[in-house]
Amino acid sequence: MLKGKRKIVISAIGLAIAVPLLALQAASDENPPLAPLGDPPIPLDNPQTDEKIELGRMLFFDTRLGGDASTACSTCHNQEQGWAFSDDLSRGYPGTVHWRNSQTIINSAYYGKLFWAGSAGSLESQAPSAAKGAVAGNGENDVMEARLAFIPEYRELFDTVFGDVWPRIDNAWRAIAAFERTLVQTDTPLDLFLRGDENALTEQQLRGRELFEGRANCIQCHNGAMATDERYYNLGVPPALRWEEDAAAQITFRFEQIAKGVTEELYREIKDDAGLYYRTKEVSDMGKFRTPSLRYTLYTAPYMHNGAFWDLTEVVEFYNEGGGENEFSENRTDLIQPLGLSDDEIEDLVAFIEAFSGPEIRIEVPTLPPYQPLPNPAD
Amino acid sequence: MMSVFRSSRLLRAGVAAAIGMLAALTTAQGEELGPVPQIETEAARVELGKRLFFDRRLSGDAAISCASCHIPERGFSDGLPLSAAYPGSLGFRNTPTLINSAHRAAWFHDGRLGTNLNDVTREMITEDYLMNMDMRLMQERLKQDPVYVEMFAAAGYGEPSNGGVRKAIPEYLKTLISRNSLFDQGAMSDAAQSGFAIFTGVAGCSNCHSGARFTDDEIHNTGVPDNPEIWRDPMRHATFVAYAMFMGVENYMNIRRDPGAHVRGHAADGSDIGTFLTPTLRELTQTGPYMHNGVFATLEEVVDFYNAGGGDDPNKDPRLVPLELSKQQRTDLIAFLQELSGDPLVGPEFVWEEPIPTEYEIIDDWRDTPN
Repeated sequence: MLKGKRKIVISAIGLAIAVPLLALQAASDENPPLAPLGDPPIPLDNPQTDEKIELGRMLFFDTRLGGDASTACSTCHNQEQGWAFSDDLSRGYPGTVHWRNSQTIINSAYYGKLFWAGSAGSLESQAPSAAKGAVAGNGENDVMEARLAFIPEYRELFDTVFGDVWPRIDNAWRAIAAFERTLVQTDTPLDLFLRGDENALTEQQLRGRELFEGRANCIQCHNGAMATDERYYNLGVPPALRWEEDAAAQITFRFEQIAKGVTEELYREIKDDAGLYYRTKEVSDMGKFRTPSLRYTLYTAPYMHNGAFWDLTEVVEFYNEGGGENEFSENRTDLIQPLGLSDDEIEDLVAFIEAFSGPEIRIEVPTLPPYQPLPNPAD
Repeated sequence: MMSVFRSSRLLRAGVAAAIGMLAALTTAQGEELGPVPQIETEAARVELGKRLFFDRRLSGDAAISCASCHIPERGFSDGLPLSAAYPGSLGFRNTPTLINSAHRAAWFHDGRLGTNLNDVTREMITEDYLMNMDMRLMQERLKQDPVYVEMFAAAGYGEPSNGGVRKAIPEYLKTLISRNSLFDQGAMSDAAQSGFAIFTGVAGCSNCHSGARFTDDEIHNTGVPDNPEIWRDPMRHATFVAYAMFMGVENYMNIRRDPGAHVRGHAADGSDIGTFLTPTLRELTQTGPYMHNGVFATLEEVVDFYNAGGGDDPNKDPRLVPLELSKQQRTDLIAFLQELSGDPLVGPEFVWEEPIPTEYEIIDDWRDTPN
């Protein structure tokens, strides 16, 4: 597979190996330390207001912001499933299946870029990408905007919040983003511990922390308050099994290659998700995905961009073995090496990762107002 | 377009008077009165187009096919005043028949496409309130069905593709041609013959309803009354708003009236507001309700409407004046209209009768099979 590109990759890898090996010791000292999570950044052009958040909460649950009015944000970001979707691949629009694992909304407010390969620069631009994608919401601006106009409560809220004479679809995404910025968790056991509560972590979790920051060196990527460096790596996560077992997943896989604009040559031969490559079109970015946060992962199984692992132990075992193999293994990061952790140490590490999650976040599902005929303009 | 008008049959039917009017009945496209010409097609392409036409997987959520609204047993319309449209939406216009659509010069009630059925097919499949399909996804669905892989190849279209769909469905539509009406066979009843004379004579219907399909393919304003259901039902009204927004209609939130072919001409003085393409009069017995908004349930209502000089509209075509037809004349006119309907286009020649799978087959050796 992709044999024509191998040469270029190998020379890049040669450089990649030489430099970090020398720099490794120094670099690990420079990793931003784990830190308690503060308030999320609020963009200056979309300030939070109570009414906007309330509007966003309603829209987040409203299936009318999707093609056939069956699929809301909450359909694939289900609060009962960790504000994600509990299957390897997200369920997708009716008649389709998605091609990646659904990520949690919790703490999405802190990411610089959204989606597994960072293709959206803000929550405001993530929401329409999801609502409009053929295998996600499959909605279209005109129909969705038109629908909003026929819901009197929305007309009033869009007017109050945005001064819209008629609800504008771009403002729907702003309201949803504002709501999502309230879905944060800053008081996990780890946060409490890092703020000085020495009893917030168990003995086992403390041992796990030592591994995390030491021999297992998870912190080289999972660092800072969000436990992610927001960089892109190929860990050798194996391709999704669904692509071999599920015809609808095979369809979507090929569709995504076209939608992401690969060459016909690549379209014909590719059999795995090339991740960051779709954005950069750099062969050396094939198979790279953004380091996800470890926060709230207690509730968001399965894990990895394609849901390859069904619990945290599987994930840690994967790292313990030094990562895996995929179609783009030429690009595999050398930061991942076999760790030689014992079963007890693996359990300690998993226990520590669980400290990145506090209680499950549940909110009341809003009652959504129905369509109403539009008053006559003359009335 | 070659005429296959058989003058001997008409003469035998005793409507020789019609012959003299033929010049006047010739459309702008040069189509002459008589049977609608058949169109040559390629069988493999027609078969492919036929299967696609009945395949629900051509819509975004795989819930509807072309045939959901263009039902063969209803003359390839749906029998509803206003179309059902895509799930989550409801239509704001009447579903037109597809019979003889391959001969049209423009499509949709507003004539917004005047190119070819290839474009019409694309519009229907991708429009969000019609079939809401991303054709890139559609292509990959079709590639997952071995039957299509074979049929596209047999049709000479290579592997399943969007372009192939946009060729095959029109090829199938070319087979949907009216046939064997009493009019075409020269076998009209006395009442219909009398109605034909009224149609071309005092009633002046043939001013617009000319040629083999009984349409000039032009736009006219006849003052068809509004269908209030469009504005009463938020899901219909919302579809109208989405349409009007996309088509660049001014003040679309405040109008309560279908601007029709104004979306095509955008006349600065608004004189084309409320114009619509003249519909065919073929197959009327199968295709009610009538008018672009389905506002008339019966042909009686339609004829009464024209007898009264059409509706009330500042832009109404001045040729529409009260006709003062007698009851007998109106009955005869309707008899004529009814005898423009021919054989229903049903059965295996026109309908894909084998089951079409709703699921897809797994490609077993996926990793080693080129995409």
